[in-house]
Amino acid sequence: PVTAGSIVVPYGHVIGNEKWRGSEVAQRLQGKVRLIFEDGLGLVDFHLSNRTCILLISEADLVAGDEFKRRLVKFRNASSLRGIVIVEKTQISDQYYLGVQKLVVLELGMVLLPVANQGEASQLIVQLVILFLGLQVREQSRDRGANPFLRKQRAQPAEPAALQTVQHIPGVGKTKALLLLQHFGSIHGLCNAAINELEQVVGQTAAQQIYSF
Amino acid sequence: LSRVPGEHSPSLCILADSREISSGPEVISFLRAVHGLRVQVCSLGTSDYVVSNRLAVDRVLQSELQSPGNRNKLSQRLQRLQGIFQRICVIVETDRVRPGETSRFFQRTQYYDGVLSALVQAGIRILFSSCQEQTAALLKELALLEHRKDAAIQVPTEPEGHRRDILNFYLSIPSLSYGAALNLCHSFGSITAMAN
Repeated sequence: PVTAGSIVVPYGHVIGNEKWRGSEVAQRLQGKVRLIFEDGLGLVDFHLSNRTCILLISEADLVAGDEFKRRLVKFRNASSLRGIVIVEKTQISDQYYLGVQKLVVLELGMVLLPVANQGEASQLIVQLVILFLGLQVREQSRDRGANPFLRKQRAQPAEPAALQTVQHIPGVGKTKALLLLQHFGSIHGLCNAAINELEQVVGQTAAQQIYSF
Repeated sequence: LSRVPGEHSPSLCILADSREISSGPEVISFLRAVHGLRVQVCSLGTSDYVVSNRLAVDRVLQSELQSPGNRNKLSQRLQRLQGIFQRICVIVETDRVRPGETSRFFQRTQYYDGVLSALVQAGIRILFSSCQEQTAALLKELALLEHRKDAAIQVPTEPEGHRRDILNFYLSIPSLSYGAALNLCHSFGSITAMAN
């Protein structure tokens, strides 16, 4: 059965597909995360949260042919979950990697991460779990400082920037830029200033330069 | 315009940061010579490459992701990019093996996995490349993809004279990308028209 819908993952747990019971990746995960096995996960190998899941592609899958591609496309079409594809990139499967990357990242728009073996896969899954669960905790406390790549919303003061920008007009340095902004209030006001208004602030030559710019 | 993937159209254009001339010369050469793309080298300052009006690409060596010393630099850079571009992609390139050096064994660290996870969670796209040649091929694929989605850079990228001054004026506006500044340059007759 093709199941790709969301399931409820208890907080702090990872739900694994029954087929991974006893595997190396499962054994290595078990000491670090609370792993529950479930039957009937269908296309998905591990659920990290209600929204995020992992599809594991082994070296053997890559060599065997295109079956794994059908599985990925099926998942993409059937599910709105965020799918992270982890692929075993070894000396043998390396030649397939570029093709897989093109399909997964560029065509399907999913995340693809290469690992060398199941041990590395479990280490990566642990890091993903830490991060995804860590965020849930922190969002509740309204602190999003954990992920260094999430942009902090920070309003920049507009005045210094406007001052910089105005100095790009030929003939205008720091002093004139300040005068101009004090007088006309904004770049918008400055653009719509008449030439005689400009002359009163910066003199004839500069006014001409600004006006023609 | 040709919309057939794989067939290069003359309008396909990529902006490259001038620092890439020294750090990734083969990438630029391959883009031009093999893939027939127009590569405009300019001082982008923000990202290594700008592939479309909304997509910026940073080229990062695998060793840079391995060492915690780079964490701040990388995160500041990517945070800034996120303020400017809708989409960001990181190409993780395997380090070059220097002549005489036996292939270094890549020891995957927890830290490396943590960085990858953080990138994924921040919604940054990650591609892996094993050399500069592959990086160039990936950049071309990205440019083609963006072209199909009508986001390609389609304005002349080398303004001259007065337009050059106007471009510099636009570039000084915070959070405006090089591509956006070029577009402003070409869609408005004057700065007054833009301001109004």
